[in-house]
Amino acid sequence: MAIIETHQLTKVFPGDIRAVDGIDFEVNTGEIFAFLGPNGAGKTTTIKMLNTLILPTSGSAIVAGLDVVKSATEVRKRIGYVAQDVGVDEHATGKENLTLYGHFYRLDGKTIKERVKEIFDLVGLTGSENRMVSTYSGGMRKRLDLAMGLIHQPQVIFMDEPTTGLDPQTRASIWEYIRDLVKSKGMTIFLTTHYMEEADRLADRIAIIDLGKIIAMGTADELKKSIGGDVVTVSPCEDKDEACKEFIRRSEAVLTGKPFVTGMKPTDGELAVYVNDGASAIPTIMQLLSGQGIEVKTITMSRPSLDDVFLKYTGKTIRAQEGTRTTFAQIRRMRDRRQQ
Amino acid sequence: MNLLRDTWYITLRDLRSRIRMPVFIFMTLFQPILWLVLFTQIFKSLGAMPGIGGGVGGSYLDFFAPGVLVMTVLFGSAFSGFGMLWDIDTGVLSKMLATPVTRISVIAGRIIATVVVLLIQALIIIILALIMGVHIKTGVPGVLFTFFLLSLLGLGFAAFSNGLALLLKRQENVMAVTNLLTMPLMFLSSLMMPPFLLPHWLNTVRQINPIDYAVVGARDLMQQGYIWHDLWLCLVVLAAVAVAGVTFGTLMFRARAE
Repeated sequence: MAIIETHQLTKVFPGDIRAVDGIDFEVNTGEIFAFLGPNGAGKTTTIKMLNTLILPTSGSAIVAGLDVVKSATEVRKRIGYVAQDVGVDEHATGKENLTLYGHFYRLDGKTIKERVKEIFDLVGLTGSENRMVSTYSGGMRKRLDLAMGLIHQPQVIFMDEPTTGLDPQTRASIWEYIRDLVKSKGMTIFLTTHYMEEADRLADRIAIIDLGKIIAMGTADELKKSIGGDVVTVSPCEDKDEACKEFIRRSEAVLTGKPFVTGMKPTDGELAVYVNDGASAIPTIMQLLSGQGIEVKTITMSRPSLDDVFLKYTGKTIRAQEGTRTTFAQIRRMRDRRQQ
Repeated sequence: MNLLRDTWYITLRDLRSRIRMPVFIFMTLFQPILWLVLFTQIFKSLGAMPGIGGGVGGSYLDFFAPGVLVMTVLFGSAFSGFGMLWDIDTGVLSKMLATPVTRISVIAGRIIATVVVLLIQALIIIILALIMGVHIKTGVPGVLFTFFLLSLLGLGFAAFSNGLALLLKRQENVMAVTNLLTMPLMFLSSLMMPPFLLPHWLNTVRQINPIDYAVVGARDLMQQGYIWHDLWLCLVVLAAVAVAGVTFGTLMFRARAE
């Protein structure tokens, strides 16, 4: 059952800036749904329309069965919001922060007391309740921030870039809490991120958004499979200058129409070649290019990432790839092993 | 009911954070206290002049202390919006507005807390003035009346300052406008000199300065007694300041909270 549903949701800011441009999507109850896209894609604007902080210019959105414009106050009672900025009060203790939000959500004193205890335990802050937030570390603040969006046991939690600016260890622990919430409380999570890894590892379904439009939607696997096979990234140059662009254009021309190539995307200084079997394609690519006098400086192979999905649909990278990259040396070793 | 509850919790939150920084309360008191102590020494010999102590009796301290009270309230309330700016910058405001909290409580609570702190500061100033030997003609009821006038002034300016913060959004701009307004408001009044000793033009200008009405009202009550034709005018002007400030603040807040 859909707990979030939008229809042609649009936000135009003064100056005819179409931050969100007619998006349609549904989020199912109990799902972790991620909006993945670069900064300025319209992620935060979407979240702020869904959590009633800004009004849509046109289109509509239903959250927990209620229209976000007509029933804003009722929607607010059913949702939690964890913003990109940690909106906690420095000059109060963790418990005071949380209690204040309990009052805002119209909980009675007894319930607040119970929930405060329970939630501090859930986010791992037990023992720090009565300390001033100004003495909290960044990770502790984020966890308190998360707790403040949970005290009323909302049906949906909106998280805007929940782990931006956190160290990898804290990030991993926040992911744990988020997964726990869905599992133990049956909550639905709508999050935005520009970390591919976050969307990949955390979300049940992902919508890739760019320039205010949803350009692809599905599970991480579905999205990656839409590219198929491996990605071989070729760079025929060391400097990103005009000569380099020319080399990339020529490389693309050489490889165009070759049966083993399923797709190509030139970027700044590199050419991404989508193939079914990377290990066998690499020597062929090298041969074809050197045959045309194009000297390959680096060649790498990787499994398709969400970044490749993004690249395929938009022609841009969210940011430089990370993690799953394989170096030239590793590819040679792989090939050697195969030949043995 | 929710309106009152939410306002109460937000007032408490604001008061709590201010009381936890007592240094700040005393720092903002430092300047008025300095004025109270230094000016009453520098201008001591003016005490016998007509319009100051002459005719009505009293010293320059008796004449000047009500002005220091008004000054304390003016500066304290005019900077109230900086707390709002902080809440905007740190994301506290957005987070609050995503809850079902009664919208208007978010600004009302902050303004009420500002006024409460200002009255505590005014009380400290009065106690200090009493120690220095000030004579309050109307006694405790007069002091309470003065506090009521100061509350209206504080309410109007605190609400205005919060509205300004919501309108201008940037700390530098709010600071510039606040300084531009508060200094002339203070000096273009009879705060330091009785009206008939002021140059003609200044005496004319002060009559459109709400701060002057507060000064006259507080001075009547503390130094001279219940001069009702002054006091009524003062009440009307300060009530108008309060209504105008609260209206502006509310409108700006509505625009922000959509």
